[in-house]
Order: sequence, then structure tokens, then C-alpha cells
Amino acid sequence: MVKAKVLLEDSVGKKVLLLANEAIARGVLEAGVRLVALYPGTPSSEIGNSLYQMSPHIPNFYFEFSANEKVALEVAGASAISGARSMMVCKGPGLNVAADPLLTLAYVGIRAGLVIVVADDPSMWSSQNENDSRYYALMGNLPLMEPSDPSEAKSMLLVAYDLSEQLELPILFRTTTRVNHSRSGVEYGPIRDRPEYVQFEKDPLRFVPVPSVARKRHPWLLEQMEKARSISESTELNFTIGSGELGIITSGVSYNYVLESLKILGVDAEVFKIGVTNPLPERMICDFLRRHKKTIIVEELEPFLETQIRSFAQHHSIDVEIYGKQQGFFPRVYEYSPRIVTTAISKIIGCNTPINWDDIDERAQSLPDLPPRPPLLCPGCPHRASYYGIRAVTRGKAIYPSDIGCYTLSIAPPLETADILFDMGSSISTACGIARVTNQDVVATIGDSTFFASGLPGLASAVYNQHPIALVILDNRTTAMTGHQPHPGTGITGMQKHVEPLDIEKVCRGLGVEYVKTIDPLDSLTSLVAEVRELVKWVRENKRPGVLISKAPCALLTVAERRRSGITVPPYYVDPDLCTACRRCLDRLACPAMYLDSETGKAVIDETLCTSCGTCVYVCPHKAILQKEE
Amino acid sequence: MDCNTHDTDVFNLVISGVGGQGVLTLAEVLSRAALSENHNVRVGEIHGMAQRGGHVVCTVRMGPDAYGPIVDAGTAHLIVGFEPVETLREVELVRPDGYIIMNQHIQHPVAVSMGKADYPPIDEIISSLRKFANHIFDFNAMSLAESAGNPQSMNMVMFGAIIGSGLVSISKETALATVAASFPGRFEEINTRAFESGYAATSVLKW
Repeated sequence: MVKAKVLLEDSVGKKVLLLANEAIARGVLEAGVRLVALYPGTPSSEIGNSLYQMSPHIPNFYFEFSANEKVALEVAGASAISGARSMMVCKGPGLNVAADPLLTLAYVGIRAGLVIVVADDPSMWSSQNENDSRYYALMGNLPLMEPSDPSEAKSMLLVAYDLSEQLELPILFRTTTRVNHSRSGVEYGPIRDRPEYVQFEKDPLRFVPVPSVARKRHPWLLEQMEKARSISESTELNFTIGSGELGIITSGVSYNYVLESLKILGVDAEVFKIGVTNPLPERMICDFLRRHKKTIIVEELEPFLETQIRSFAQHHSIDVEIYGKQQGFFPRVYEYSPRIVTTAISKIIGCNTPINWDDIDERAQSLPDLPPRPPLLCPGCPHRASYYGIRAVTRGKAIYPSDIGCYTLSIAPPLETADILFDMGSSISTACGIARVTNQDVVATIGDSTFFASGLPGLASAVYNQHPIALVILDNRTTAMTGHQPHPGTGITGMQKHVEPLDIEKVCRGLGVEYVKTIDPLDSLTSLVAEVRELVKWVRENKRPGVLISKAPCALLTVAERRRSGITVPPYYVDPDLCTACRRCLDRLACPAMYLDSETGKAVIDETLCTSCGTCVYVCPHKAILQKEE
Repeated sequence: MDCNTHDTDVFNLVISGVGGQGVLTLAEVLSRAALSENHNVRVGEIHGMAQRGGHVVCTVRMGPDAYGPIVDAGTAHLIVGFEPVETLREVELVRPDGYIIMNQHIQHPVAVSMGKADYPPIDEIISSLRKFANHIFDFNAMSLAESAGNPQSMNMVMFGAIIGSGLVSISKETALATVAASFPGRFEEINTRAFESGYAATSVLKW
């Protein structure tokens, strides 16, 4: 990651290699944004990570990791209504969490600019579904913008703030993984000052949408969208490039693939790049369609542009052939590549693809079977011990509702402790549903950050409705999966201020959970197993929720902390004389730091990966795993 | 109708490895060096899920015709593999006239440790790579990194090897300056040494 110092530099015209997420963080400075609130979610994570590093060094700036996305949008929305430029950031599924305030924010509108950055994840590199968040723009009547690369991510953001203020509406700023996680040169512009304080001016008949108010605001919103439509017709963000008989309409990252494909194929076409994708510039699009007998629409995921553009053509009786997803030239799943776009264009204009991809695919089929290498719980991850304990006690027979975080990787063998998952916080509430209609033991797991984000209402409900669920809170002291952001349990804020952390054990007791215990999973696997057994037994007997907090810091934090303070802990090793090659450690724990010596059939520990957590020691029945002397 | 393949002015590089090996850092350092020589450069990274132990790929594209970050099958000029199986996993990306630089050091996937999958023999991996490209250089970058003073400097050994191969138009001076700027303090010396040993390994090659 680029250092905060680089992002904070006040040097107009300087060109820096930035991730689009870092470019957006830089844009916060250049747009004079006063407040940013978010809950981390990949692929948007580095926006927050960068701002977190920058926040103590920006005058008159406030940044927070809110408990969840709904909270973040309410914080940012109210700040914008107060008159300070604000931003909320989330990933696709995060916007679903914030959907409730989102749709009402459009009704009441804002006074200073509000941009909601939503990072969708075509191909689901790190998400549970392929959320196409653009539909929120249609449903909520919100202006929508889609940048196509890091440089545009910053420049378009600045326009978004102006547009937001002109229309008094929040702007949806939608990126995709291939934009968020690509790097290119980004040119710095001037940094804008931020006001120290703004004055909240009361206007309850606008900002309190009781039905009588809301009824008046809906027509207002539609009027604003009509104004937005005329802006969309004239903005430089919607432009055409090139010329030719063939027409192509595209947006976002697909624009790049279109340009590459045309170059590779040596085909001329006029390309309409749409930056403001809601409301669409209907007149410009109709003029474009009239200029071309054939028009191809290139967009990832849902036919968002395609459906609307087909309706324009029908409405205006334009004689044009429109090619896209609906005839199957483009897929509706996964992200695009130049290859997908090139192949589709080749088919539509009737020529061969420039590369014989079928031949390459065929040769790839003939490769030997490669061992899979999925992401795993890290060596030394305290969750591995917790899941080993849960599995040992319940012998794999309980139902294991899981949640959103690294620990979902426990789905893989040999731990296999993830049976059902919907979204953030669902482990607790799905556990309730399962416990009510089955007579099986239910052991749910949830991380600390997720617990604060969405676990609390589920637990309140479980207590009140007396659901017999065993809940293990996997408290690794951070939001590990998205890159170690703080949360209310960590004791540090988004402004890097040290504060009193919320105590999860007290929170659970406060919610009325009678059985609450905290243990260190790396302390002793034997006592961990005993504690899980007691929890499950208590829940079975008392028919109420019980909570075990399994608390030990993320292995990556432990290793970093040791490196910082110069502490070395001797790694473990397998004594080949004591090892009987029973494979219990490899088969039941599967720590990535352990592997099989193909000659002896015995386990070996890779010292460069071992973090000395010691979990394997307890798993070995022959006491063959020992720690090196200092 | 035939479309002629129009060669575009772009150099496509793919870096493939295991999470934790420094793939992302290499892509960033390399690209920063490219930008400081005023190349148009696009980098693609895939983050997310666990940060360690999974397969990681980065793409680096240099040249005026680089728009998006994706490198398609059959279009990579150079594949840099941090691990044999992970090199083979991405081999279909290489052009028939492309190059492969591979670290021989094996990192066992857990499926292999658990006995649920086999690790292909190294000569089978090399012969499979040859089905896609003729120019293959494999060496033990891990042991060079260890000699340089830290196994974690393996990515800078690979950086040295990329520059030493002469395939990428970034000067050795720029590359070394970027290494120095990226690793201040006591890591500068180790990483510079790692870079030099990688550079020495490929700069003598006639491919």
C-alpha cells in the first residue's frame, strides 16, 4: 500500500502509481470531504485503510469505521445534511445493509455533497454474491456514476461532489473489483480546505419524512432526476470516441476491454462511454443509435444499460440492431476480459478471433491435474484451534452456522465447520431457525467485528425468544479478512485515538445471556475442548443461548508485533524418532506450516511458516511435536 | 472474414505465486519503476479472502496500448512463477513466443500435505510448461534469497531476474533506486543483494 505521506502530498501535477482505492482516498482530500464513515468490505477495503492512515494528518477531517454500513450511511448522510461534504464506502452486499437509509436519503436530499462509493465484485473474488448495485440507482432514483480506471476514479469523484450539491442528492459511485484493485498513474490536483464546523439548519418538514412530508418529497425527487437527466445529456463524463459503422455502448471497466478489442481486431467503431449511468442520456443514446445500423452493448453482470437502451430504441422507433446479453453474445455471470469482448465482437461482425483460444483451452486441458491451493486459515490462526475443539466435541455432527470473515474458510476439510451462511450476522439468526425445527446441537461461530456489525440484534432476539444455540465468538481482536481494521472491540478509532474498547463478555451479559465464558484457544487445546463440551451441554440442558468467547489475536498481528518488538519465539519441530507417521496432525488440523515428507511419510514443520502457536502439540498422540530450545 | 491480429504496443507480464510470498509487493515495485521511466502502466491485483496460503496472481501491463489490467490466455510476454505448480496454473496465459522465469522451490499445498492430492513431479511440470513456451528459465530463487539474508526477499530476487532478462524496458539503475526507496532501513541492503543475485542469474542467459 502507498504510504499516507504520499497520498497527503500537496504537489499539484505530480503523477503517482495508485490503486483506484487509493486514488479515491486522495480524491477525498481534493474534494474537501469533511467526514467519511464506512464498514470495511473487499474490494473497497483500501479506501478505508488509506484514510485511516491519513486521518490524523488531515486538518478538519473526521473518519470512522462504523459498526456497520447502515450506521455508516446514517452518520455520513446526517453530516451531509448538516452541510459538510461527506462519504460512505461499502462493498456490494454492504449497500444492501444500508439500503434502508439509502432510499429515504434520496427523498430528503442533502445540503453538502454526499457520495456513496459501492464496490461490486463481478466473479465474486471476495463476496458471497454478484450484487449489481446499479439497480439501487433505478429503485431509489439516485444519480449513478461508474469510473473505469484509477485516474478516472479520482477525477470523476470530484465531479460527483459538484453534481451532488447541484441536485441536492446523494450520488452512487459504483466501482468493480478490476477498477478498485488496479493500479495506474494518477495525477494530483489541488487539495481543498474543509470547514471546521458547519451549522445544522432545522427543517423538519424536509428532513423528517413522516408520511405527509414523504408524499411531497417523492415528486421533488422525480423533479431532481429530470434535472439530472439534462445534466447527463451534457456532461463530459458521457462521451463518444472513434468513428465507424459499428457502434458500441459501454461503461465502467468494460470500456477498457472494448478499446483493446478494437485495437487487436483492427476494427473501426464509434464507442459511447457512459460515465453517468443513471439517469441515462436518452437523447444522446438515441442519436447514437440512429448513427449505427449495429450497436453492441458491453457491460458486466446484469443487462442494466441494455434493457433501458432497447426500450429507448423501441420508444423512439429507431431502426437499429442491438447486440448484447439478451441474444447470448455476452455472459450475465462473472467479470469480463478483453477475450470475452473480442470474441463477442468477432461473432457479431462475423470474423475469426485473432488468437485461437479454443486451441489454447484444449492444450490447457491436457495439463496434469494440479493440486488446488485455496485460501486457508493462516499458520497459527487461533480459529483453527477453536474449530478443532468444536469439531472434536461435536464429532462433526452438530450444525455449524457460519458468518462472514476469514473463519468461513473453516468450510474446507478437515475442519468442515461451516454449514449455512447468508450475510453478516446471519450465523446467530440462522442458528435460531435451525435450533427451533431440529433436535440437533447447533454451534454457531461469528467473528468479533461481525458480532458488532450485525450480531447484536440476532443475539438479543435469541435471548428473548430462548433459542437453544451455542455461540462461539471468535475474537481475534481485529477485522482480519479485509486487512485489520479496528472495530468497537479493539480500543482504537478511525482517527487513531485510543479509547476504551467494548467488552464482548459484558455486552453478552448485558443482552441477557446467562452463560458467558472467555477462553484463550491457544492456551491449551485440552481445556478448549472441555469448555466447548460444557457450553454445548449447558445449552442442551437449559434451552437458552450460551456464549463462549474464544479470544486470541490474529496470527498476522502476533507475528507483526513480535517483529516490531524483536521477540523471537522458537518454532516447533517433529521429532522423526517419535513420529509414527499416523498423520493425525495433517489429517485433522491441516496447518499450512506442516507437510508430509514424501520419503519417510512423516510430518514435517516448515519453520519459515510456523508461528509457534503450539496447537499441533496437543493434536499429536505420540508427543512427537516439540519446541526448539532458545 | 478474417481479422488480422494487430499487435498492440504493450508488454504483458504475469506474476503467479502463493499468498505471503510477496507477489503483490513485486508487482507494485516493478510498476513504480516503470512509471518513473514514464511508461503507461496498469497493474491488476486480486486481494480478498485470506491473505495467506492461497493462489495469488498479479498482472503488470506496460505500453501505450495498456487500457485494462487483464492479461488474456496466449497474450503474456513473460510469466514469473514464484512456485512450480503456481507457474503451471497460469501457463495458458503465455504467448507461444513468450518467456517463463520460475522459482523451483516447492511450497506444498495443504491438499498435498493431507494426502488428498499429488504434487506433480518437477520434470512433468517443466515438460508441461514447454507445451506453451520454449523460453523457460528455472532456478532456486529461494536459496538465493536465503543467501541474501532473508527468505522473504525472494520477490526481489525475482525482480532482479526480470530486469536481468532484458525483456522489460526498465533500466537496472531505475530498478535498484525503486528497491532502495521501497525498503528503507536495514531491509534495503538485503533486498538490494537479493535483486543483484536474481539479476546475475538471468543477465547471462542467451535463452
